Amino acid sequence: MNLLEKLGREWLFFDGGTGTILQERGLAAGELPETWNLTHPEEIVSLHCGYLEAGSDIINTNTFGANALKYPDNLREIVEAAVMHAKKARALSGRSDAYIALDIGPTGRLLQPMGDLPFERAVELFGEVVRIGAAAGADLVLIETMSDSYEAKAAVLAAKENCDLPVFATMIFDENGKMLTGGTVDSVVAMLEGLRVDALGVNCGLGPEQMKPIVQRLTQVSSLPIIVNPNAGLPRSENGKTVFDIDADAFAQLMAEIADMGVQVLGGCCGTTPDHIRRMIEACKAKPVAPVTPKHRTVVSSFSQAVEIGKKPVIIGERINPTGKSKFKAALRENNIEYILSEGLTQEDSGAHILDVNVGLPEIDEPKMMETVVSRLQSVLALPLQIDTSNTEAMERGMRLYNGKPMINSVSGKMESMRAVFPLVQKYGGVVVGLTLDENGIPNTAEGRVQIARKIYDTAAAYGISRDDIVIDGLAMTISSDSGSALVTLETLRRVRDELGGHTILGVSNISFGLPQREIINANFFTMALQNGLSCAIINPNTEAMMRSYRAFLALTNQDAQCSEYIAAYGNQPAAIPQNTSAGAAMTLGESIERGLSERAAQATREALGHTAPLEIVNTELIPALDRVGKGFERGTIFLPQLLMSAEAAKAAFEVVKDAMRGAPQQSRGKIILATVKGDIHDIGKNIVKVLLENYGYQVIDLGKDVDPSLIVHTAKRENIQLVGLSALMTTTVVSMEQTIRLLRAEKPDTKIVVGGAVLTQEYADSIGADCYARDAMATVHFADQVFGN
Amino acid sequence: MIAFERSEALRYLGYHGTQQPDEAVQQSLDRCADELQNVVAPKSVFQAFPLTHPVEGTMKLADVFIHSKNLSRTLKGCTSVYLMAATLGIDVDRLIARASAVRMSDAVMYQAIAAAMIEAYCDEVNEVLRQEAERVGLYCRPRFSPGYGDFRIEHQRDFSRLLNTPKKIGLTVTESCLLVPIKSVTAVIGLSNSPQPCHRKGCEECDKKDCAFRR
Repeated sequence: MNLLEKLGREWLFFDGGTGTILQERGLAAGELPETWNLTHPEEIVSLHCGYLEAGSDIINTNTFGANALKYPDNLREIVEAAVMHAKKARALSGRSDAYIALDIGPTGRLLQPMGDLPFERAVELFGEVVRIGAAAGADLVLIETMSDSYEAKAAVLAAKENCDLPVFATMIFDENGKMLTGGTVDSVVAMLEGLRVDALGVNCGLGPEQMKPIVQRLTQVSSLPIIVNPNAGLPRSENGKTVFDIDADAFAQLMAEIADMGVQVLGGCCGTTPDHIRRMIEACKAKPVAPVTPKHRTVVSSFSQAVEIGKKPVIIGERINPTGKSKFKAALRENNIEYILSEGLTQEDSGAHILDVNVGLPEIDEPKMMETVVSRLQSVLALPLQIDTSNTEAMERGMRLYNGKPMINSVSGKMESMRAVFPLVQKYGGVVVGLTLDENGIPNTAEGRVQIARKIYDTAAAYGISRDDIVIDGLAMTISSDSGSALVTLETLRRVRDELGGHTILGVSNISFGLPQREIINANFFTMALQNGLSCAIINPNTEAMMRSYRAFLALTNQDAQCSEYIAAYGNQPAAIPQNTSAGAAMTLGESIERGLSERAAQATREALGHTAPLEIVNTELIPALDRVGKGFERGTIFLPQLLMSAEAAKAAFEVVKDAMRGAPQQSRGKIILATVKGDIHDIGKNIVKVLLENYGYQVIDLGKDVDPSLIVHTAKRENIQLVGLSALMTTTVVSMEQTIRLLRAEKPDTKIVVGGAVLTQEYADSIGADCYARDAMATVHFADQVFGN
Repeated sequence: MIAFERSEALRYLGYHGTQQPDEAVQQSLDRCADELQNVVAPKSVFQAFPLTHPVEGTMKLADVFIHSKNLSRTLKGCTSVYLMAATLGIDVDRLIARASAVRMSDAVMYQAIAAAMIEAYCDEVNEVLRQEAERVGLYCRPRFSPGYGDFRIEHQRDFSRLLNTPKKIGLTVTESCLLVPIKSVTAVIGLSNSPQPCHRKGCEECDKKDCAFRR
């Protein structure tokens, strides 16, 4: 029987600790254990033999930390030797039935954008190990001790793309059931199942006792065989040495209890020895193996959150979409990602559970934009994303870089569409929206739409995609052109739920297209759709009327225990007007800016617009107030937080002025590139400078952090930039600042360069050839004024 | 919950001595501090290592050679050291990134408060080490981190490896030797047989005399 035939039908036992045993045999702290494959081959072979003789069915190669970052020169040698030692041990112990797992641990680096390792670089690094290990004769790939779901995803993709071996993946959780970067059992199981690993589970970090709650949750949510490889209890320090607190007998007994919880693969991790494994096998092997059962859950996930569809109705925020929004379109054209992020954050605050992401605009590179936006969104917010595009390349790149199991919008009943989308879902995982339309258009009966839903389910099944991963869009069509259309949509929802047992989704507001006061229709239709079984609603969560319908529906249908969410949302409204507002009412625009009160500043601007021309407000109130704050900052009477709060208040006021002047050409005092240099990920200083420059009327092209010199130069040339601002925090990254300056001087000599950052000084700035050293944000503003003659 | 010095956070924001923020800033500071307390996940790891001084100004710590006059002064007479690493966790990075996208004034406050928090947390860990050392009759020197004075920042990489920080506490080092999560510290603490009156700490030992944050 091969491994996958055995898996889930009979017990499979992993080996135990490697590193802890090598330490006992003399591996020094900080010494890389994989070097022993070359320096102490006999120790490695004997380690494996110990486990094989104890009864392990699967032994892990000594390659946990083997990757080209740690072994730039001899990776192949290290990995090949590791597999060879495992094979030798298998032969020596006469255990030809045993399997060799190519062991893959984390790189030890954090992926972008939180860290500096690009996702695709991580895939490459893992891929290299997989190719060598598979060629050398490993029987499976074990991805283990992953504390970051994103890195786990990179490793699984690398395994799948570089070999045909079974792929097992185990994560490390803390006592609270969290991974180091925030993942939970629910979120990571959704992702790994989507990526179609063969078995998944938990290892390291905890002893068997502490792992029980995690194991229990795994058995509740996972439809795959479950692996449990705990440490020998919790570590403690004894005479400067790390020891683990449970012996082989206690370990075996606890593992027997875990065996009864419904798992299929058992083994050990740090601190466990062949003795632990032998006793564990004795205690467990006679027990029946729990069958692996599908859980039929429809789940999408982010790095830390899982949203289940089909229980409580789910709100999908629709605001990240350029359709009909000129500001959003402008943001896409200008690469203004911050604007898009703020759209996402606002919807999260309003109560969205998932965010739809549509960045399609004919004149931009949509795949690239999708990559950027997905990557940035998932670094600042925890909501799962719905990748919304008809561009297959954009869809794939979004799904690939996504840290979790995404929702996909959409596939239709057209063969061409299913042929394009289903392979992507099969590879990367996802819950896909199935539109009930096909080559013949949109059926005008519910029966026709249900037929298409069936076709979508059946075709998906042929790609190995479970119906659990499909949500049917019943298609809301405006009642202004067909007054019966809402009824057809509602019947479709009911029948998909009742006849097909499926989940549904609608772009709710389409129902009122062309009608006045659309909110009235939308909010009422929303309630009706919920009542007819709608599982997911794509709406604008910032629209209070829609959220009222939603919260009321939950309260009325016993989905809001003690009406607590309803009361939380509406219990304190409308409170008496806070006192400081009335006090604030007497405040001038200038004062509210100086005191950093954004709402008050916006209000004062609106009031002023009643009797004063917009530009006059800017010149007589706004700018003077900013100048007063700026001067106070330079004198040392106003401090950074206040400077920024004033800047934000001024920004709020400018927004009001801009709205009033809509249509008039926007004037910019000059265009400036800002970037935190290559290798540097500390961008707070750069962001402060950006806020102030924008306040003073400059247009900032923010290239972000860890920016390649060539991108800065390229952008400076393309946009004919007169001033570039660079920031760097450390002496180690000032080096790339210097490189960037050199490249700019060579390729665009007329551009001025201003630099700033913690370690910089005037001297230092001079020595690397900058035109100006800015000790703070105001200094950059002054230099910009000088460069642009303002 | 990390008990941190509010005055320290204010100092990072540019307030010196008796200068106090106005009420609007105070309120924001309180809000940001609460938010941070909700997301911090302080973790630390430490281990004792032998130390030798093969030649003047050079130290050998485990398998690492360090050339640093500043560190060598701090570790004079020590035959072993504690290496420690501590972090507030990656959610602080996310919080700051999030604020940077919508409200920069919050971002700088998070940054300053979190800086005060990691210092306070390191002090806590340091205190545990002091007590542990005293039980065996050893005395701790002030903690000293790569990047102070002439102690090269590249040693972050060695410390991370010796303590296995990526796996143990999720602390990683970028190619350019920056620590991620952003609010993290690695440090060496000398251990000697006699107490030392010298309390020269980071700032005083540093040669960057014009630093705005110098105490």
